[in-house]
Amino acid sequence: MPPRPKKFICTFCKNTQSPNYKDPKTLAQFITYYRSIQSRFYTGVCLKHQKKLATEIKKARIMGLLPSVRYEK
Amino acid sequence: MQKYEIMAIVKNSLDEITAKKVCQTQILDKIKKLGGNISFEDFWGERGFAYKINKQTWGYYFLAQFELDGANLSEMKQELNLEKELVRFLISKVEKNAATPRKYSEIKAEYEAQEKKKQVENTPKEEKKSTRREKLTTIKEKESSPSPKKDDVDKKLDDIISQSSEGI
Repeated sequence: MPPRPKKFICTFCKNTQSPNYKDPKTLAQFITYYRSIQSRFYTGVCLKHQKKLATEIKKARIMGLLPSVRYEK
Repeated sequence: MQKYEIMAIVKNSLDEITAKKVCQTQILDKIKKLGGNISFEDFWGERGFAYKINKQTWGYYFLAQFELDGANLSEMKQELNLEKELVRFLISKVEKNAATPRKYSEIKAEYEAQEKKKQVENTPKEEKKSTRREKLTTIKEKESSPSPKKDDVDKKLDDIISQSSEGI
């Protein structure tokens, strides 16, 4: 039998780029409306990159590049 | 020798020139003193925070990569914690095969160019909408009867008053 085709293709594997805390614009795609980290079920990122993604988002939060809570004005 | 990366935020009460000096004297000179060598440095400039830090809304960002012994790193962290001009700093490990980071000014210029492109693409659509609205308004104006002039209204009023006064 031929191998089953994969449903999701990880965006970081596709671009040969690992998540980095210095570009918050790409990281902002992987957080929810209330600014919490989105799970792998919804992002479609592979396990290796999802683990790195979570740490990089946390780093960006410490340096004030990304919010951790949604503020309403 | 492990490769590290430091990102620091300088207070916004200082000038940009003095903020650069603070980065030079308090961070880079300290690394050299402890026997490290700097491979990359970049002053980002003004940047807003995602949330308020020490009641401030923006600060000067600074990024540098350097090589240092692990034993000396804790000493460096202790000294950096005592500096009053630094709001925050973050030291992280860099992988051996990682490429050198791009300059912030390049990334900023690229992003602004992309936004300009988007604006150019969006403008003709708005014009089309405006033309449609104009058409609708012109049609409505034609359909609606012309508003009565002031003199006509006065004449009519005079007539009504005279008629009513005759009746009495």
